[in-house]
Amino acid sequence: MKWLIFAGKNILRNRRRSLITVLITAVGTAGILISGGFALFTYESLQEMAARDSGHLIVAHKNFFTSDEDTPMQYGLDNAAEMRKRLEQDSGVRMALPRVQFSGLLSNGDKSSVFVGMGVDPAGEFYTKGPALTVASGTTLSAAPKADAPAEIMLGTELARQMKAVPGTLLTLLSTTTNGSLNALDVTVCGTVSTGVPDVDKRLVYVNIATAQHLLVTDRVSTLSVYLKDTGQTDVMRTQVAAQFPLQTVQTWRDQAYYYEAVRSLYNRIFGLLGIVIVVMVGFAISNTLTMAVVERTREIGTLRALGTLPQQIVGVFVLEGMILGGAGSLCGMLTALSTTFIFLFADFQMPPPPGRSVGYPLQINFSPSLYLLTTLVLVLLSVTAAWFVSRKMAAKPIVEALTHV
Amino acid sequence: MSATAATADATLLCLSGVTKTYRMGEATVPALREVSLAIQPGEFTALMGSSGSGKSTILNICGLVDRPDCGTVELDGKDTGTLDEQALTLVRRENIGFIFQGFNLVPVMTTFENVEYPLFLSGVPAGERRQRVSEMLTKVGLADLERRRPDELSGGQRQRVAIARALVKMPKLIIADEPTANLDSATSNQIVGVMHELGRMIGTTFLIATHDPRLTVLCDRVITMNDGVLQ
Ligand SMILES: Nc1ncnc2c1ncn2[C@@H]1O[C@H](COP(=O)(O)OP(=O)(O)OP(=O)(O)O)[C@@H](O)[C@H]1O
Ligand SMILES: [Mg+2]
Repeated sequence: MKWLIFAGKNILRNRRRSLITVLITAVGTAGILISGGFALFTYESLQEMAARDSGHLIVAHKNFFTSDEDTPMQYGLDNAAEMRKRLEQDSGVRMALPRVQFSGLLSNGDKSSVFVGMGVDPAGEFYTKGPALTVASGTTLSAAPKADAPAEIMLGTELARQMKAVPGTLLTLLSTTTNGSLNALDVTVCGTVSTGVPDVDKRLVYVNIATAQHLLVTDRVSTLSVYLKDTGQTDVMRTQVAAQFPLQTVQTWRDQAYYYEAVRSLYNRIFGLLGIVIVVMVGFAISNTLTMAVVERTREIGTLRALGTLPQQIVGVFVLEGMILGGAGSLCGMLTALSTTFIFLFADFQMPPPPGRSVGYPLQINFSPSLYLLTTLVLVLLSVTAAWFVSRKMAAKPIVEALTHV
Repeated sequence: MSATAATADATLLCLSGVTKTYRMGEATVPALREVSLAIQPGEFTALMGSSGSGKSTILNICGLVDRPDCGTVELDGKDTGTLDEQALTLVRRENIGFIFQGFNLVPVMTTFENVEYPLFLSGVPAGERRQRVSEMLTKVGLADLERRRPDELSGGQRQRVAIARALVKMPKLIIADEPTANLDSATSNQIVGVMHELGRMIGTTFLIATHDPRLTVLCDRVITMNDGVLQ
């Protein structure tokens, strides 16, 4: 306690210098916490987007992800309806959605364009997609289409522009069937949608799963996308579902989230480097301050040593000083980061669209207790190490030399 | 053998054949040449000599803050040459007090805290510390100034604080290197008076280096140094 008071008084000797050190540490801490919180927010958003897109778990034929099909739907699931029922019985599963992936040509009579299509169950699909899918015009596919009505199609905005299609336009889908012949189907545009990724919107087609199966002449589905109630349960549920369907493969959203993984590894590098730079900067500031303090107090150190203070007690005082400086700095930094987090929560700042996307997203900063704890720990440890490093030589200096220091 | 042992028992500090040489680049400066000296408990000894005669050097060796190149230093009959830095520090902590020419008080500590520091180092409990420090400050006449910091005190007052800090742990030996050199003559007289009086009262041994002839009249013993040898 006495040592701590002594250390505190020593810090107040040169208030301006200590204040600047604390400020630098605070700015550094806030920098790490704010940029780290932003990275975490981005990861979380991308995670959510990826999971919304693919489903938390994707159940497919065991060759589906590894081999190319010879004919469409060769590696499809046969008894999807029954599997879906079994999956949805689990209390951890929100829903299981069948999907048919297909591709072909879309024609408006004058010209045609390649599409990448998805046959979906409209009731579940557009509910789970949520904000990941923006309806630009018209409506989404009807959940319960009338038997005599023409089949509906929903287009990506870019594709709709190419086809000069608006809701109500008649188009023709052309695709290869499961037995290798060509099939065509007349469809009516019910709406246009945007995913926010222009490259996807240029090819995107949604139809009712029944329409897709009719076009391909199949009753199989490509995959079953399982949406969980809790993303955190992904790995647990994957094991469980894999055991339930030993003949099929089960992937998680992470296996499919190439964009998420790419952004994550890029951000980890950028923010990791930033963090290292900040830590080095703070380390220099603190060791500089403490070095000056040690040199200024040479004669006093000699006096204290003569009076019977052990070298490690001298070092201990400087270590405490480093701890106070580093601790005060990171505390101020934490408060700054915390208030910034709050301001951003209510201020609704928008980030420009990320590479390859057409819409921006809100700038938010996540609060992560473990990031706060880790940052403080690293910075306090750093100041303590710096203090130990710069004072240990002086504490071991011959006393007479220290006493005659001017 | 038994005769020397008997004298060593009574002697507080015993230097024999102590030599110290400083190297200044190529040249070597002999600061002490084969100095032998015995200090008895309770002695009030003055060390006189011209500047550069080696007073500070021998005091540093006596105070165990420096080591001789050759020769032995025995405190209480125990050779200190074999002790490591750690052990020497503990010997100083319990046995030796210092009074410096420049006072060397800790500027961020109050009068009270400066005097309390050696007791704190020795692990004296807070209540006892409080009492002993107050008594000591009363003895040096600074009872009213215990909350002041060194920069709020005059030179004479600062040196009183230093004397209190040296004496409060009741050490066997006090080393004072020119304790009055930074003070005017009236203040010097008071400081010398205080040291002498308290030294007698507590029974502490004083070893004082000085240029001040007035100090010597109060001393039991005056040693004169010249060019690294005792006269
Ligand atoms: N660190 C050192 N390096 C080199 N020479 C030194 C050192 N310390 C002392 N000396 C030399 O050793 C000799 C004795 O010095 P010392 O300080 O003991 O003298 P002193 O009697 O205390 O002098 P003063 O009255 O000026 O304090 C002097 O010649 C001095 O120049
Ligand atoms: Mg001297």
